[in-house]
Amino acid sequence: MAEVLFICKRTVSSSKPVQPGQISPLSILDRVMEHNHLRVVFYYGLQTRRRAGELTKKLRESITDMLSAFPVVTGRLLRTSEGDWTIKCNDAGVRMVEARVEGTVDEWLKNVDREKELKLVHWEEMFQRQYFWSTFYVQITEFEGGGLAVAPPFFHPLPPPRTGKKNRNFHSINHYKSAKENSVPASDTKQTTITLKFNQEMVKNCINMARTTNADNCQPSLTPFEALAALFWTRISKVKGMKSGLVDMSLCLDVRKVLGLEKGFFGNCMVYNRVQGDGIQENDLSKAAGFIREAVFKIDRDEVMDLIEWLEQENWKTYPSCMNGSCLICANLENMNSYSAVFEENSSPLRVSYYIEPSVGAGQILILPSPGGDGPCSRVVSVTLPEVEAEKLLEDGLIKQFGPTIWMGLNRNLC
Amino acid sequence: MPESLPSFSSSVKLKYVKLGYQYLVNHILTFLLVPIILALAVEILRLGPEEMVKIWNSLQFDVVQVLCSSFLVVFIATVYFVSKPRSIYLVDYACYKAPVTCRVPFSTFMEHSRLILKDNPKSVHFQMRILERSGLGEETCLPPAIHYIPPTPTMEAARGEAEVVIFSCIDSLMQKTGIKPKDIDILIVNCSLFSPTPSLSAMVVNKYKLRSNIKSYNLSGMGCSAGLISIDLARDLLQVHPNSNALVISTEIITPNYYKGSERAMLLPNCLFRMGGAAILLSNKSRDSRRAKYKLVHVVRTHKGADDKAYKCVYEQEDPEGKVGINLSKDLMVIAGEALKSNITTIGPLVLPASEQLLFLFTLIGRKIFNPKWKPYIPDFKQAFEHFCIHAGGRAVIDELQKNLQLSAEHVEASRMTLHRFGNTSSSSLWYELGYIEAKGRMKKGDRVWQIAFGSGFKCNSAVWKCNRTIKTPVDGPWLDCIERYPVHIPEIVKL
Repeated sequence: MAEVLFICKRTVSSSKPVQPGQISPLSILDRVMEHNHLRVVFYYGLQTRRRAGELTKKLRESITDMLSAFPVVTGRLLRTSEGDWTIKCNDAGVRMVEARVEGTVDEWLKNVDREKELKLVHWEEMFQRQYFWSTFYVQITEFEGGGLAVAPPFFHPLPPPRTGKKNRNFHSINHYKSAKENSVPASDTKQTTITLKFNQEMVKNCINMARTTNADNCQPSLTPFEALAALFWTRISKVKGMKSGLVDMSLCLDVRKVLGLEKGFFGNCMVYNRVQGDGIQENDLSKAAGFIREAVFKIDRDEVMDLIEWLEQENWKTYPSCMNGSCLICANLENMNSYSAVFEENSSPLRVSYYIEPSVGAGQILILPSPGGDGPCSRVVSVTLPEVEAEKLLEDGLIKQFGPTIWMGLNRNLC
Repeated sequence: MPESLPSFSSSVKLKYVKLGYQYLVNHILTFLLVPIILALAVEILRLGPEEMVKIWNSLQFDVVQVLCSSFLVVFIATVYFVSKPRSIYLVDYACYKAPVTCRVPFSTFMEHSRLILKDNPKSVHFQMRILERSGLGEETCLPPAIHYIPPTPTMEAARGEAEVVIFSCIDSLMQKTGIKPKDIDILIVNCSLFSPTPSLSAMVVNKYKLRSNIKSYNLSGMGCSAGLISIDLARDLLQVHPNSNALVISTEIITPNYYKGSERAMLLPNCLFRMGGAAILLSNKSRDSRRAKYKLVHVVRTHKGADDKAYKCVYEQEDPEGKVGINLSKDLMVIAGEALKSNITTIGPLVLPASEQLLFLFTLIGRKIFNPKWKPYIPDFKQAFEHFCIHAGGRAVIDELQKNLQLSAEHVEASRMTLHRFGNTSSSSLWYELGYIEAKGRMKKGDRVWQIAFGSGFKCNSAVWKCNRTIKTPVDGPWLDCIERYPVHIPEIVKL
């Protein structure tokens, strides 16, 4: 397997200077995710061969133009007088790392695993003096045989929703409370990630299977998210050795639509909602799906606003060191629109991989969009679990029944 | 109220006295000739035409005398025209505009400084104070190698920067003037701190396939005033070679000169020097006299290197850790002032109108003979020039010259705005300033421009140009996308 060769690290600034004095405060939803960050890798298999570094140069110019529209991205973190994070738009730029790999993108994708893929992503932990720490890092890796990988990981707290805040009663804040109360156990188990692609037909089969036998036909059918989440919830509980009931799981949902925000909104809109797994048998897909559906429906606008208010009232001195650590997380990232990030020549990404870091605790299920072409229901599921459990999951009978394509499995071969 | 009135009216009276004096002295010949012509005219009218014819006929004309006189006249005219120095024309020039990807905002510069000099917070703080007061803006550019963390100033990167800057300027100039590579007879490149083998001028010859009998020169180590030294050299060569073109490239390659240490006196150039370059086409061909933008009038060079302090005030050396950088001494401004005085003393008689020269002479005699306590008279150079291009070496330089020459804010605007938009681009900054004046539409036919540059050595060089034709606002050039925003107010201190 080809090694990733680091070429250089630099700072990229916007093409227009930022007007001095702009401050962009962070909302509570942003601040609560302080210790999390997201890593994404976009793979492009570009046909035209180019000189080394040419593509990177073009991308850099493109990033420079784009940054002019987002002065917040080139800003730096600052503490307000209340001790909360805010962003000062000081025009400092983003860090960019350039790298190179031998071979083509296709060869890489055949043999990639979590460890290798994360080498395509550059991340630096926050410095002690956070004012000089870039909140965004972009790594561009050129494949000598053709192709490109672009990885913009970013700090999860991003600038604020511009919604107003109202006072209401609230319900599910269990996830946040437990995240605060339980410290994450130091884990020695090596986590690994497997990615499975479910095409349209496979997802439809899953939905059919998860539909309750008692459900009448006028009830709307399950969404791909609900069906797949239920499937993996039950299967992962089984590999974890749960005898009665399922493991506790928290759904991480995108609430932009619920809050009435536009798709282009720049800020954290992921909200957690706990689902209890007691009383569900491991093969009871429909009951699991039902619980999930209920949890999704519960997150309406009022619920979110109440949650925001509760979080602000709690006034935690420090935020939970890990929102992902207290139990299994299932995140709905279907609406990410990643495959519309078209590069020149109308080249859309071959594949987009996501990682929510740090990955500690019971595990993660990410329901992601699919490159499309075969139907609106197809999805890609990325599961992060301890290695042993991941191996068992791949052997699971029910999952094998659907026959998903293994995009990234356990790489036993050392190439 | 009554107190101020007398002073106001007296100052007004003084102004008119001064004006009257200037008109009298500067047009003394006219004032002398006019009464003589009038007297002659009166005499002729008095005599009448018959008397005039009688006087004419009484003159004895010998063929030999006539021939000799006309021969003498022709001879003197020939000697005059042959010994007259050739006119040197500046056909056009082009300045380098760096891509926006090279932009370095203050915050990025300071962040890099902190990351690289993390063990020297005092040096970082010093750099911040320099930057705050520097007069630079947020759009100045550094070459790509300096954007890396840590910077990677390799030879390859330096050559890369040289190629990008120089070739870009030359391409732009060729497009503007329509000149072909084979038409270039003389090539002079000046770049102080980067001097590879083969030279940068050889690099240009190679890229553009210039003629094999080209007269090429490469000036290095001569500091920020090298641009005018190159112009002077081109002028001298164009006196010797008739019907020729000279291409002059002035630039400073930043990549290899980024100081990686922490000595404060050597960190200053990092804060001020930025990417830039200019290509200038000079010609002595008479057919260029129509289309040329400027005509070169004078070049005056002053070298204070004989004085040890002046010699050492801008000195490249190793710091205690062995890192090479340029040490700027604390006496820099004083030495610059001395060099300027020397230069002015030489250039004054060449450019100042007679009125100013007389005043200066009288004050000088007065100080020597009557009373040494008389204030020395500083000639008013605003009468000699319409435009001033002061090398944008730093805010202090411009402030000092503005004070010494008693210039208004508008006179130094081109220099200040060039420092703000492009930083200190060393020898090419004079050309950015000239470009600013043209972009503002202020350059009219007959306007005189004074370019002053200071440089290590310590040298002070001046060039005087006369505008050959009114210059329309250019449709290209480095100021094209930002001239509407200028002039900007540059605060004393920009808080970082």
